Amino acid sequence: MINLIFILILILEICFLMTNIINYFQSSIWTIVSFIMVTIIILIPLLSFLSYSFFTVDNVEIIHEFSLYNFKEFLTGEIYIPTFFRTLLLALIVMIACMITGYPIAYFLAMYAHRSKYFILLILIIPLFMSYIIKIYMMRSILGYSGLINKLLMMFGIISEPSEFFLYNQNAVIITLIIILLPLIIIPTFTSLEKIPRNIVEATYDIGCKPFQSFRYVIFPISLPGLIVGAVFVFILALGDFVTPQLVGGTSGFTYGKIIYSNFGMAFNWPFGTALASILLIVSVLIILLTNYLTRKN
Amino acid sequence: MTRAETFTKYFLGFLTIFVVIALYAPIVLTIFYSFYKTRKGKVDWDSFSYEPYTKLIFEKQILESLVNSVYVGLVTVVFSVLIGFYFANYYHTHKGKMKEFLQFVIFLPFLLPPIISGLALLIFFREVGLPRSLNTVVIGHTIFVLAIVYKIILNKLETLKPSLMESAYDLGANKLQAFWYVLLPNIKLSLVIAGLLAFTISLDETLITLFLIGDDTTWPIKLWAKMRVGFSKQVNASVTLILILTTTLVLLIAWIISKSEKKIMY
Repeated sequence: MINLIFILILILEICFLMTNIINYFQSSIWTIVSFIMVTIIILIPLLSFLSYSFFTVDNVEIIHEFSLYNFKEFLTGEIYIPTFFRTLLLALIVMIACMITGYPIAYFLAMYAHRSKYFILLILIIPLFMSYIIKIYMMRSILGYSGLINKLLMMFGIISEPSEFFLYNQNAVIITLIIILLPLIIIPTFTSLEKIPRNIVEATYDIGCKPFQSFRYVIFPISLPGLIVGAVFVFILALGDFVTPQLVGGTSGFTYGKIIYSNFGMAFNWPFGTALASILLIVSVLIILLTNYLTRKN
Repeated sequence: MTRAETFTKYFLGFLTIFVVIALYAPIVLTIFYSFYKTRKGKVDWDSFSYEPYTKLIFEKQILESLVNSVYVGLVTVVFSVLIGFYFANYYHTHKGKMKEFLQFVIFLPFLLPPIISGLALLIFFREVGLPRSLNTVVIGHTIFVLAIVYKIILNKLETLKPSLMESAYDLGANKLQAFWYVLLPNIKLSLVIAGLLAFTISLDETLITLFLIGDDTTWPIKLWAKMRVGFSKQVNASVTLILILTTTLVLLIAWIISKSEKKIMY
């Protein structure tokens, strides 16, 4: 089922590859091998993915002809653009919440935890490798109507009866994503905070800085690149997640990733799903490039 | 230390404790539910049993998915470490702009949302006519973990002095000998760390796997399928076992790293 466009991309790819190789190297066999390897396993899938977004579907047959129908559908459809922006906002909230929680913890570890800092860091990292699905499932029982959070809040007398604030809506998605993604922001922030030599901090005190000033003008700017890297990771992962909204989001927690996924399941409209995903791809690449630029400048 | 600073310290300490509790709550509850029963939202404290663990032997589907996951993980480790070492070595020894481009491409699947890597491979396999199976999952996982494996090995290679390999060549070693007797002993720990990390990640990979899996199931996919009907105690038990496995792996990685840091680097 190799179609024409696919072969065309392949040929273009090979031409591109050859010219590059001739330009940069004098025929090293290893370069060619590594290039072909990367092209086959990463670049061609990505390119065929992009080419799919220009196809259309007729019942169950995918029509391999160029058309902008999918993008027109995206722009004119009632739910797509609002959902896209709502998902951006959701990812932004998750990112900011992770930054606000993650930074102080990384700061605590780097500045005050002394010898036990690596141990605490390890404790914070381990959940990252623990079953993703299970964490979401358990968050469902924690956030639920008779779940742990409601019980605790009632015990402390903050609310009088169980609240439905926490499950099957956007809040549930946000809380769950924070729990899952938080370690990701702590690691790079900690690494960049830890690199700051103690004597630099002491020097700021010697020239008369108050602790807050020393933080504001010295420590924070140095640690900013690490924080940004972590924040971008969290943002991109929150943006593309489709399992969390599916499981804890209910009907109002409809996110962009979930729409993409649904086009590959029941709806069987691969080209349209791909078109939606390629918009996500463009946004992600822009964010990655921007991060690269920001962190390099610092 | 001023009073404000002491206050900050304790405040941040409490925050850290709170976050640790929040991060572990879902995990601890899973383990808890594998031992105790609940009735109408209340825990029955007398119902402690490890029966689910012994019953797990009869749950053919769960066991099969666990075996599949381990298989995928092991094959992924082999491929990703081989390819990762190849590229790290390539980046380390070659000059030119091309290597930067290659590095960027290797990082792409890791930086992009997993849904995009999954979709891209799904479409690619369809176009090539490769049926979805555990092998396609292996390819997906390899591409995903490649960036991490590559970076770990490259970091290690860059701590080695160029004179190390040069002196090996000066002493008359051919390329293979220099690799086997000089380079490999120096980087083997980083290979082990990279491999363990790749295995740990592969074991729990869900988002890419969902697109690439065919009729077989890996363990996270089995959980995803079971979730709609609610978990049995056996599922909780299998989760606990996997949690123990991943924790051990992560601790092992940490132990190897701390051990290797004490050694004098060449």
